[in-house]
Amino acid sequence: MDALDPTLPHMFAALLAIVFLGGAWQKLRDLDGFAMAVEQYRLLPTSWALPAAWGILAAEAVAGLLLLPLATRIAGAALALAVLAAVTLAVAINLLRGRHAIDCGCGGPEGGQHLSWGLVLRNVLLGLAAVLSLAAEAPRELVWLDGLTLVAGTLALYGIYAAANQLMANRPRLLNLKG
Amino acid sequence: MIDALAVSNAILWVVVLALLVAVFALARQVGILYERIAPMGALMIDSGPAVGETAPRFDLPALGGGGVAVGAAAERSQLLFFLSPSCPVCKKLLPILKSIAAAESAWLRIVFASDGEAEEHAAFRRRAALTDFPYVLSAELGMAFRVGKLPYAVLLDEAGRVRAKGLVNSREQLESLFTAKEMNVVSVQEFVTGQAGAGQGTGMGT
Repeated sequence: MDALDPTLPHMFAALLAIVFLGGAWQKLRDLDGFAMAVEQYRLLPTSWALPAAWGILAAEAVAGLLLLPLATRIAGAALALAVLAAVTLAVAINLLRGRHAIDCGCGGPEGGQHLSWGLVLRNVLLGLAAVLSLAAEAPRELVWLDGLTLVAGTLALYGIYAAANQLMANRPRLLNLKG
Repeated sequence: MIDALAVSNAILWVVVLALLVAVFALARQVGILYERIAPMGALMIDSGPAVGETAPRFDLPALGGGGVAVGAAAERSQLLFFLSPSCPVCKKLLPILKSIAAAESAWLRIVFASDGEAEEHAAFRRRAALTDFPYVLSAELGMAFRVGKLPYAVLLDEAGRVRAKGLVNSREQLESLFTAKEMNVVSVQEFVTGQAGAGQGTGMGT
């Protein structure tokens, strides 16, 4: 892989850390709701729903934490990719089964996001960010302005992520209105 | 020159972030609007037995033994709640229904209705802790009330007449069924429209 400007891998790692830690936090706040969503995916026996919910939550939180220090970034990115692959597979299986009207359990706005291929695309892009966070850095001296680029760039990426989630959550409501 | 670029860069970042906040806020407001535009009160789908008519009579076996008479004269009103184990909104309403059942037990009895495999429903009934409530499985019952979308609720009075019905997605919509019965109107939707149409907008939103 070609070397990237050093700000980009840091930016992607920081974005993923925010997304994963934020996701884990939201799931923890409504654990029952999340366990119910896991059950709705109909991939596991019902009694496994709560342990599986805890497992996903813990993996997300650990991946988010490991992504932050440089020393553990590889492990964090690998765990993030594994979580993304597992949940995206679950989404895709249910989409292919035609069960798109179930709650995705993403813990988004009011937990109202349904399954869609947009969600799959979103997770693929997050996976790409996980891969790019491990990219080699082109040698360049970092200056103070890079700090601004890093912070503002991460916030901007997260803003785009949040807006995209909201728009995906709105779609079924709009379709509902159209009848 | 470099200073000028740094300043311009910083200003641009501020603008980009401000715009992103605005985009997110707008998307959120659009989402809230989509929900609010939806009819107030439980949406009535205009088919099946009309409000005021006597409901068709059913004698159904309940899960876990016993029987349930629907549409018969009884001591208490009946709230038929049509649900399915695969409907998240139904699950969201279950705790609300349980609290309503406890608070209104003097005049109201809640009956859960669905159709499908008895085994799946029996397991769902146990998990959702609905064993204290009558739970019936009958495709004919759903068809008689023309239940299209779930969760759907029908309120029958002591004489077995339909007093209110509709698609219910929230506590407010559930309560609108009781309000419709109390106020003796067909639906809160009609009441609100009637008020607005007659130019008597005062006192709305109560």
